[in-house]
Amino acid sequence: MKRPFLSLLSCTLGFLATAPHSLAIDAKGLLRVNTTIQTYSISQPWELTPPKRRRGLGAVLESGKILTTAEMAANSTYIEFESADGTHTVPATVIAIDYETNLALLGPEEGANADWILKLGTLKTNGPVGIGDEVDIWQLEDNGDAVRTVGTVRSVDLLSTFASGHYFLSYEVKASMQSATSSYTLPITLNGNLLGILTSYNSKDQISDVVAPEIVKIFLDDVKDGNYEGFPSLGIATVLTEDSNFRKWLGLKDEQGGLYVSRVLPGSGADESGLKKGDVILTVDGHPIDRRGYYKDESYGRLFWSHLVRGSRKVGERLSLVILREGKEQTLKAVLRRPPPKLIPSHMYDKAPPFLIKGGLVFQELTRSYLEAFGKEWQSRAPLNLLDALNNPEDYEEGRDRLVFLSRVIRTPATIGYDRVANLIVTEANGQKVTDMNSLVTALKDPKDGLHSIRIDDIPYVLYLDPQLSDSVDKTLLERGLPSLQRLP
Amino acid sequence: MTRFLLLLGSIALFHPLTLAQDAATPPKNADNIYKSVVRIEVATQVADYRTPWNSGRFGGGTGSGFLIGPNRFLTNAHVVSDAHRILITKRGSAQKHPARVIHVAHDCDLAILEVEDSVPFEKLEYLELGGVPALESQVRVIGYPVGGDRISVTRGVVSRIDFRPYSHSRVDSHLVVQIDAAINPGNSGGPVLQDGKVVGVAFQGLRQADNTGYMIPTPVINRFLKDVGDGNYDKYVDLGITEFPLFNPAMRKALNVPENGLGVMIASVMPTGPCDGLMEPGDVLISIDGSPIDNAGNIEVQSEKVVLHEAVERKFAGDKVKLEFLRSGEKKDLTITLKAFPHSRIYAVRYGERPRFIFFAGLVFQPLDFNLYSAHQFKSPRVRKIFQNYVRDAIFKDREDVVVLTRVESDHLTSFITGFNGTVLDEINGTKVKNLQQAYDLLYAENHPEFITLKCNGIDRPIVIPSAEVEAANKRIMQTNGIFRSYNLGDSHPAAK
Repeated sequence: MKRPFLSLLSCTLGFLATAPHSLAIDAKGLLRVNTTIQTYSISQPWELTPPKRRRGLGAVLESGKILTTAEMAANSTYIEFESADGTHTVPATVIAIDYETNLALLGPEEGANADWILKLGTLKTNGPVGIGDEVDIWQLEDNGDAVRTVGTVRSVDLLSTFASGHYFLSYEVKASMQSATSSYTLPITLNGNLLGILTSYNSKDQISDVVAPEIVKIFLDDVKDGNYEGFPSLGIATVLTEDSNFRKWLGLKDEQGGLYVSRVLPGSGADESGLKKGDVILTVDGHPIDRRGYYKDESYGRLFWSHLVRGSRKVGERLSLVILREGKEQTLKAVLRRPPPKLIPSHMYDKAPPFLIKGGLVFQELTRSYLEAFGKEWQSRAPLNLLDALNNPEDYEEGRDRLVFLSRVIRTPATIGYDRVANLIVTEANGQKVTDMNSLVTALKDPKDGLHSIRIDDIPYVLYLDPQLSDSVDKTLLERGLPSLQRLP
Repeated sequence: MTRFLLLLGSIALFHPLTLAQDAATPPKNADNIYKSVVRIEVATQVADYRTPWNSGRFGGGTGSGFLIGPNRFLTNAHVVSDAHRILITKRGSAQKHPARVIHVAHDCDLAILEVEDSVPFEKLEYLELGGVPALESQVRVIGYPVGGDRISVTRGVVSRIDFRPYSHSRVDSHLVVQIDAAINPGNSGGPVLQDGKVVGVAFQGLRQADNTGYMIPTPVINRFLKDVGDGNYDKYVDLGITEFPLFNPAMRKALNVPENGLGVMIASVMPTGPCDGLMEPGDVLISIDGSPIDNAGNIEVQSEKVVLHEAVERKFAGDKVKLEFLRSGEKKDLTITLKAFPHSRIYAVRYGERPRFIFFAGLVFQPLDFNLYSAHQFKSPRVRKIFQNYVRDAIFKDREDVVVLTRVESDHLTSFITGFNGTVLDEINGTKVKNLQQAYDLLYAENHPEFITLKCNGIDRPIVIPSAEVEAANKRIMQTNGIFRSYNLGDSHPAAK
């Protein structure tokens, strides 16, 4: 969980030219996935940033659908499949995408001629393997030849490979791979059956992270009914109980493990089950949890407890917890759900960010990505008030669904004197509480005493706009090439 | 003419200005003036806020000063800050005379010294203070800068008179006069003269620009001398308001401000400040002591635009200021009484203080101030937010001291206390922490429960320490880490400083 890994995005090139186990052979069920990725500009959310192209591989499943990583498909404006030899291409669409596990299922565009795909052969999915087992990693050369590299499953861990903060079961496969054009999103097989998808490769350690078969299976099962729900969550934050003084204070015995519950998300499965802050979780589904949060998995040995929730169950299933509360053991039953919506979403993949422009004032809903755009040192460089909201959303949640903020001020005749105002949290507009972007739009339809007033969290605390002037300014902004003045969620 | 200059080239280097100037030729009594300018040699001890129990860094430096009265030497505060030994040397003498600080004003970078034995200085002239020199007029800077042992004189022209930050405290701005004579290390505290009178104290330069020196002009010096007249330095006073320019027509309309170019919006009123309870955000200040305030928040003083805060520059605690403001378009008159606002000093650099701290069971607690903040470079947005909003949000009402856990020393008692470094201590055994003294009293209380619990801001679990182990742990960790004292509580009230 703590192991640093390098994404293939940043290190595809520069490793060994030939690997000892590589063999050029025909491979079934492999095709290229070419995508064009465009995200929205952070500072000018009405426009897209320049496109980036990405080439990777996909695995053709028995259903004829293609499995690849979410990273390949997220924020894509165009996807196409290409046969290994480059003779066939077909536009593709996303059937299901899971940013948390980093998996995506794609299919050819409806009505397009994609018969060639099934002729490539298909891959059955394989069950879990053990540590020490050998697996095949597939790459495609420029000339269309497949390259197979044999690797060994070295260990199993919970990793977060795409959307930050979501940890799922992954195999760590040791293999020395060569640089090839589509060294991105590589299918892993065992005896010709699909095991998982490689999400990153660290050429220095020669370690690949592979989404484990269990996770692939849950993902594919979830897609089957045409309604993708996603992976469940319990909705708690926990603290380890390694500290012996802390353990004594909690009343934990030496032979007990325990996970201290430090936060329970309102509306989560844990919340409904009656779990409270300060409880200590002793077992999950009968598995004792040790003081560092691990349980003993039958196949893989010590695994972090969250796999029992996120990687072993589906939304709607029940989980039993034995907890210690005020020195007494209790059993709770929690129904697993999707995590409740956050005040400040961690990402906005494939979603256009909502915004509103009024007279030159630009309003947005805060996301983690907005703050991350302040650069590598964003934790110290991003505006302090917004960082605080990200770190302590519970202080801002009351009466809000989203955190609306004034991201910047375009210099217009209506915003004279407001030039330096930026990144302030909006609390009210025209006397109405701002709970999300829609509420701001509604409030700004109703100026009071012939003026708009917008209340913000720092100096000057209130901004005023002349409604007629700001409307005419908005018109000018449209003439100046802004595609629209608002985008609502 | 060209030939003449070429011939005289080498001589001109020595006195280039004498060719062009008249008023600033050395006065007849130049030698007497030189005698009254002294060299100040200082041995310093600069506190280390990272290891507050240690002595800090020993060092030293030199500066200049000058006699302004019987055994009264004026110099810069930064020349004598953190000093533990001060020696004054007369011109042409090898004798070092021990001296001490009588008054020090860190907010305007001035200090008054006296020598222990004043006899050797009795026959010297007291330098007289003059006015503010005019733009383009010439001045002389006298002192003992680097580059030699003897007295140095440089000349320059007054190039700007402005309201500028004083770098010594980092947070104060006052009137400064910029001159194009170089001011070098060692010049600090020396007089700047014109027509035989002191028109300023040389005090800072600009690193990124050549030939820019700054001096503290006489209005600031006179204020300081007046302030210490009663034997105490009471510091500058502040209006305790933040204003926002009223450039926006819609904003003016909302606040019912007539379109006459006058008025600035009050954006915030500092809690417990002189305007607290009397003015509100959204009020529009239109005049201060009879001077009209424009939409940018400026007033006119001697046909120069200056920020409205300059109106209280020469005032003292207890002085009254007349304000005129609009509230919802209605004109109101107000007379406020100025008072010191010590809490805002949390943002000023502190000098000459031993850092306050508490050592407890391997944990080190220190009160938050600028010195601590810059020594530890706190990363946690929580601490940064508390620091930034300490005055604005009146955090000082509940927390005279913001007590920060700055160090966790290695020991088996603390080995799992990770992630707590650089967080604010909120509660000790359920009691809210108000200041360092109270924190000490709570930590070292006689009767403790079995476990002492410490709650840190933004951290989900408490630190738990078994009471029975504290004494042994203190002894053990202090010995291993060379921590020879377990606390320095200083004056219990930070505002007392």
